[in-house]
Amino acid sequence: MTRAAGFIDDFGMDTITLSGSLPAKLAAMRDAGFTQVMLKASDLTGHAEGVEDAVRVVKASGLRVTGFQVLRDFEGLSGHLHDYKVDIAKAMLEMARAVGAPLLLACSSTSTHATQDLDALARDLRKLAMLAVPLRLKIAYEGLSWGRTINEFTTAWEVVNRADAPNLGLGIDSFHIVAAKTPLDALDEVDPAKIFLVQLADFMWQEARSFEERMTTARHFRVFPGEGVHSEQVAELVLRLDALGYGGDYSFEVFNDDYQQIPPGAVAERARASALWLGEDVLRRSVPLPNAMRLRKAHAAAMEHSPR
Amino acid sequence: MQPTTDREAIADAANPLGLDGIEFIEYATSRPQALGQVLEMMGFRPVARHRSREVLLYRQGAMNVVINAHDSARPRSVAPGETPTIAAIALRVRDAAAAYRRALERGAWSVPTHVEVMELNIPAIHGVGASRIYFVDRYREFSIYDVDFVPIPTVDRAPPALAGLHWFGIVQYIGNDRMADWSEFYRELFAFDVLPDSERFGILPKGCILRSPCRSFYLQLIEPEPGIVDVEGEESLQRIGLGAPDVPAAVKALRTRGVEFVESSDLHSDNRGALTKSRLGGVMFELVHDERAAP
Repeated sequence: MTRAAGFIDDFGMDTITLSGSLPAKLAAMRDAGFTQVMLKASDLTGHAEGVEDAVRVVKASGLRVTGFQVLRDFEGLSGHLHDYKVDIAKAMLEMARAVGAPLLLACSSTSTHATQDLDALARDLRKLAMLAVPLRLKIAYEGLSWGRTINEFTTAWEVVNRADAPNLGLGIDSFHIVAAKTPLDALDEVDPAKIFLVQLADFMWQEARSFEERMTTARHFRVFPGEGVHSEQVAELVLRLDALGYGGDYSFEVFNDDYQQIPPGAVAERARASALWLGEDVLRRSVPLPNAMRLRKAHAAAMEHSPR
Repeated sequence: MQPTTDREAIADAANPLGLDGIEFIEYATSRPQALGQVLEMMGFRPVARHRSREVLLYRQGAMNVVINAHDSARPRSVAPGETPTIAAIALRVRDAAAAYRRALERGAWSVPTHVEVMELNIPAIHGVGASRIYFVDRYREFSIYDVDFVPIPTVDRAPPALAGLHWFGIVQYIGNDRMADWSEFYRELFAFDVLPDSERFGILPKGCILRSPCRSFYLQLIEPEPGIVDVEGEESLQRIGLGAPDVPAAVKALRTRGVEFVESSDLHSDNRGALTKSRLGGVMFELVHDERAAP
């Protein structure tokens, strides 16, 4: 099957959006024209033929792995809770490595057992980053909008700075920015080279005020960018990241109960439409402007010449 | 007098592990005799055998090299291949247990050890690729080899170093964009310093050089050439650097023993250093000018 031309290579899908088996999800993404996939741990552990076979299936799919999710509630614990979480982290790092992921996503702690001392959080994330070094992995730290201490990318960035490890950076999720109403101007404080992953989603409600509302919305009612009521903000976020010189991946992290009930191919087509909108209409990737040829590394330099 | 710890950090921050050089370097290979021949050409002598495994100890001067040909039957253990690889570095430290705990607290991976009855339990962490880093604290009052090894009868157990050869360092190949990661790893776990680009040794000055906190040896990290897309899993300990107070004299002495050196227009022996030709599919030694003579 040939696809109409369209520049969507910067965008990928999270497996969490689709129902079905791992091979079915990968096939749906590939058929929709995507070249990368964001995996979650249960894609491997829940695969009927086992983890090793899941790794083989992912590698055989030809899709590049964007990253591996998600390590939860890691930072800020002490004593046996800390030791326990280190064991979990090591197991996830090994799976991420096995499947060829370049990074592990770690999201900010929601645990009331965790300290709120930013230096202690930073120390734990630094340790996680060092654990990841021999496995050739990066850690993308994401502030959940219902995180207990860290619930915006601004404070996540503060902790990443304090931890100061080369392979520790930020994971940015548009959902949490919109839900927490974090001003996008704060992005100017962030070093774009330290943004390791951007996840995009829109949602249907105007507001998600309480932590409980945010959690419910985030886990059941997300839609693809362009399908919800915050599309302007998502487009604005993508444009700002692009202007900052972010040259990494965008992945659609869309938790949606309805999308779990329709065929993965139909959902992947919706994702494709969203990627085309962002790639072609918002970022205007395929418009052949002079001096605007996109090379990932040279992107920041090229931006200076690119009319907007 | 009050303890000072609540007022000032007076601990030896520059060398928190009390690192004191390299106790031994271990190669893994399924052809121990072939590697043994190469080591003997380089001036090492076989001095002892391990009590329970197919492991040999070679020595010259203060340098110990272990050849490990032991094929563990345990699941997931990697059998040694034909091409010898540098499988481990053993670091001398003030307190092995404390050094090991400190490394684990900072994000090192522990390696489970499987000792036999009456053998030493030497703590180890994972290094680059499949390699390990051991911590050894018993090198002054007695030798660890007295416990785990049986001397080979009639041989000199303390053969002198050839031409003053001594440990200088180890070269590690790393992947693209990995310089910062590995530099931070060695700084965080062992307090290695990054030397400025102006400070280089020998004839192969690429990459980045890290100095041990005891200032007695170096790690050199080398990335792929620009434009080379590296392949997964190609990070490894690539070669050993040997210090020599007089490189041309050392080259001459080694040549008479049959060692061949790389002599091309780009790379050749001189007063600063020399590189032996690759043997057995990848074993090479770099000589580096270093005034310190072997003790």
